[in-house]
Amino acid sequence: MAHCERASKPLLQCLQKTYTKGLPGLQLQSTRAFQTTALAREEVQTETKSQPFYRAPDPELVTNPRLERQLLRQGVAPVGSRRRRAALSDSLNIPFEQLPYQCFQEARKVLLADREEKLRDITSMREKIARLEALTTEQAGGEQVKKSKLRAMELHLDYLKVQADINDPLVKRKFEDGQGDMSKPIYRFLADRKWREYRRKVLVQRITQMKVVPDVVQSCDPTLDTKLYFGRRQIQPGEFVDSKASTEAPKLDVQMFEGGEKLVTIAVVDSDVPNVEKDSFDYKMHYLAVNVPISAVNTKVDLGQLPTDSQVVLPWVPPVAQKGSPYHRLSLLIFEQKESQSLDFAAIKAKEKRRENLHCRTLQDRYHLKPIGAFLFRTQWDDSMYEVMKSIGYPDAEMELRRKRAERLPYKRRNPANMR
Amino acid sequence: MRTTLSPILASLANVFRIPLSQTASRPAATAALSRFNGSSNESSKKSTTAAAMSSTRQFSTTSALSKRKGGYQRPDRRITMIRYFLHHPLTPRPLRFSRNRFLRHWTIHRAWHLFQAQQRRAHHLELERQWHAMRAACEELRTGAGDGGKLFRKSMIKTGIFKDLFPIEYGRLQTESPSSEGWNHDWKRMK
Repeated sequence: MAHCERASKPLLQCLQKTYTKGLPGLQLQSTRAFQTTALAREEVQTETKSQPFYRAPDPELVTNPRLERQLLRQGVAPVGSRRRRAALSDSLNIPFEQLPYQCFQEARKVLLADREEKLRDITSMREKIARLEALTTEQAGGEQVKKSKLRAMELHLDYLKVQADINDPLVKRKFEDGQGDMSKPIYRFLADRKWREYRRKVLVQRITQMKVVPDVVQSCDPTLDTKLYFGRRQIQPGEFVDSKASTEAPKLDVQMFEGGEKLVTIAVVDSDVPNVEKDSFDYKMHYLAVNVPISAVNTKVDLGQLPTDSQVVLPWVPPVAQKGSPYHRLSLLIFEQKESQSLDFAAIKAKEKRRENLHCRTLQDRYHLKPIGAFLFRTQWDDSMYEVMKSIGYPDAEMELRRKRAERLPYKRRNPANMR
Repeated sequence: MRTTLSPILASLANVFRIPLSQTASRPAATAALSRFNGSSNESSKKSTTAAAMSSTRQFSTTSALSKRKGGYQRPDRRITMIRYFLHHPLTPRPLRFSRNRFLRHWTIHRAWHLFQAQQRRAHHLELERQWHAMRAACEELRTGAGDGGKLFRKSMIKTGIFKDLFPIEYGRLQTESPSSEGWNHDWKRMK
């Protein structure tokens, strides 16, 4: 078989060349290499009726520089390199799942059979859940029993949904290309796994090392992948942000890995405002918004663009650090509202007016919030900080903080007799 | 000291910061290390300064000590060793697949593991079935034989087992199938 194929390959390629340039869509039907002769004849006939290639060049297959230029003038960029396009126009263009490799096809059979079984499991589990829900509480054996049974069954259903698709190479390819549909559980699962492999570890390390966790909130187990942008620049967790860049409110990209929609509260807290009288540090709330809807597909949150009449309680104030003060940690926290119930915006707006010393723990207690996402950036005195302070009317812009000089200890002999 | 290697190898060695060695075969690790860590090696010196120049990221992996002193610090022994053995010409090249080929490989890998898991599960279920069948038979003997369970009790007595004679099946490790060579009739006990 192999020899036969090898011998026939140039022949097949010749045949292929006659028609691939015309109608690439039709090649999808030709799964077997040895059936191409008949197909080629048919398609040559159809091609005479349709336009020639140079009239409507395909950006996937065009290799002629003149035709490429023609396409570019029309505003269509050729896909990939010319070498790739040439290779594609020569290839049989068989879809990936039909590639004629014996072991691969056998493997696909095993995987498809497994998938069928998983789908059957899913339907049976759904029926089971429906049956349990139809029962009354007495028949099910009590409120608590019914609830825990339902919860376990739903968890198992989610597991089955993921397992049905996890062995599909096309799903893997799609996810790696970043084209995964986040409304489907399998892509959410893969994205979550990828996030937990590295990015979440970095985030957790930064918020614990820089003590956001005991200082701002008691504990935080992030379940949202948060990305922060000032302008178009993405900020890494814990990075120093230029003061000019942070005059505008940042944009967030909050990726949720569960289905459904959630209402969240977003708060940005500076936990390092120096207080000279007390010789310690204060808190300042730089931003507070409630009832922000997020979901797995709706990820973009622009803090500057949120509606001020229904969501933003305290609008953005640029973070500042006085000269000589240690760096300020600006922690962004995303709180889940209890049972995704919307909070009373007007009451919160009336109550939370003071930015100074508004603690996240107070908010958590008042409104039953639970931290599900966190982010951190830092700010310090830099060249443009003075202008930023002037523009927002910061009172002590000229003041420079100095460390108090420690008094010297009284002289003591280095090596007294009792230390020998 | 410099050898005349092929330009490709020389450039590779330059990229991976391996000083070119005279010997083609892999020398002892200690010799390699001593050669690597010699501070008079100007090429490694240059490369470390270049690495220090390129690391302008805020969260660099440079240890605090080496950053503070500013001067040349000898690189970590472990990194040197890994680099040395990973990029030695005697090390086989890594498997590099095209994307489609890798996906096919992955598909086959997943299917093979799935198949094995299914087999394991089937085997486990079969053992469980056998165990339950044996238990049901014993129960039947105990309750359904009509002798008040006497036969069952007699059969469950374990005294004298393995005392007079050791069962021949336990003389060797139990296997699923007979050996491929069959019985060795010429075997004699060693004197």
